[in-house]
Amino acid sequence: MATQTTAAPNGVVQWFEERVRATALFNALLHVPIPVEAKTYYLGGITLFLFMVQVATGTLLSLYYKPTPEAAYDSVKYITSIVEFGWLIRSIHHWAANGMIIFLLLHVIRIFVQGVYKYPRELIWVFGALLFAVTIGFGFTGYLLPWDQKAFWATTVGTEIAAAVPFIGESLLQLLRGGPDVTDATLSRFFGMHVLVLPISLALLLAAHLTVVHQLGIANPKRPEPRPGQLPTPGLVQRWKPFFPHYVLDEVIAWAILLALLVVLASVSPAGLEDKADALVTPPHVKPEWYFLAVYQLLKVVPAIGPLTARDVGILIPMLAMVVLVTLPFLDKNPEVAKRKRPVALIIAAIVLIGMGILTWYGGQIPAVAVAAS
Amino acid sequence: MDPVTVGSPGSGSDPHVQAEMGRRRFVRLLLGFSLVSTVSMIITPIVGFLIPKKVEGASGGGKVLAAKVADLPAGSGKVVAMGSKPVVVVNGEGGVKAFSAVCTHLGCIVEFDATLKHIVCPCHDGHFSPASGAVVSGPPPKALATVNAVVEGDSIFLVAG
Repeated sequence: MATQTTAAPNGVVQWFEERVRATALFNALLHVPIPVEAKTYYLGGITLFLFMVQVATGTLLSLYYKPTPEAAYDSVKYITSIVEFGWLIRSIHHWAANGMIIFLLLHVIRIFVQGVYKYPRELIWVFGALLFAVTIGFGFTGYLLPWDQKAFWATTVGTEIAAAVPFIGESLLQLLRGGPDVTDATLSRFFGMHVLVLPISLALLLAAHLTVVHQLGIANPKRPEPRPGQLPTPGLVQRWKPFFPHYVLDEVIAWAILLALLVVLASVSPAGLEDKADALVTPPHVKPEWYFLAVYQLLKVVPAIGPLTARDVGILIPMLAMVVLVTLPFLDKNPEVAKRKRPVALIIAAIVLIGMGILTWYGGQIPAVAVAAS
Repeated sequence: MDPVTVGSPGSGSDPHVQAEMGRRRFVRLLLGFSLVSTVSMIITPIVGFLIPKKVEGASGGGKVLAAKVADLPAGSGKVVAMGSKPVVVVNGEGGVKAFSAVCTHLGCIVEFDATLKHIVCPCHDGHFSPASGAVVSGPPPKALATVNAVVEGDSIFLVAG
């Protein structure tokens, strides 16, 4: 009997193995060596974990959320105050969204500083940059769903930005809003994008991103792959460590710590809700979420240049920055990865980051200061 | 089918090869055309579906009561709805004036600041003149659109068109 009990799992595993042939797949996915020098600082893995948290909490929220202007605000209120643990699920969704942006940004900075976006990993960067754009899209579309004042006006300003895109601006605005103004049609579209279009896009891009990472392996920041026609440095021996379980275990520990942190943040500072959206009143001191503050402030401070109005300049700069971000591996022709041999790229990146930091901080100040100064 | 029967005699050095190439090119062209047609057939209804229908605004015409004169003393202003469109009505030095309340910068709703005597946008601190709607300061690219305001008796009306 005891023999039968211990043999049963093997029998079940064997039964599935014969029908799925999963061992070979798991071996190919998990049992890969990675360079000892590869330090990822958990940033990409945590971003992936936060996306999984968003899928789980977002699915739960969608069971109660009603995407109509009449019902959206009250349904969010209902989730927050009546549904058991609703406040927790919503607040974790809120904090995980913020965390996803933070860790994605840090991941991008880490990849840039280590120079591991260069040959042969250009496509990994391109998929990653597109993932960044999709994540920002999540923030933007999710913002409107509570249908409060902040949501309504952030969306009004954000979609108005699209209207200033040369030639196609007006059509783009109509396409985003589902009409000339932010209405129930906009809410339906944003809900559809937030729960279907963007998750599917993100999943596909993530699959592409991770597939290429798996195929090329995690980069060694100290020793880039030799380019075509280039010989490897003689006398250097690459040391490896196993991806599974060493690396995976480290990541899982980081995920567990982060999950605990999310619960603490959700408890200490739960997601808020402002007054219900009013299309006739823009509240004073209205501001978007922190990750849009730099663009928001840029739109306020940039001057008109030549035939371009200040608004055009303020919109073209972030658009151009996004194009540069996606195409960076093809613009940066310097083959070096060592930091001391890439001073120009690192200084430009530092200036951009400091500039964004200043704009974000400045944008976060209360407008009363600006009014008093002017 | 035998390629020889398709080739046109005397049209080249090797009629077999020429016939083969001609047929391949034709099939490729046909496949390409089918592909473009199929993609177009799929994309056209999707794009058509996504483009919103034009809806006539509720402010299509007519006269809308904005306020009683007594409710809008000199040096004050308020935002009222003209159908679905917000309008800022100001009783300033030049009399009662009305403008679209949608900021020309990024679409926020402006309001009259009685202390500064300006129409102000709360989003990016754009200032407009309450007399003409022109930009006084800040990033808005153009003046607020004028709306006809008429005082009849003790009432202020907004007239569309």
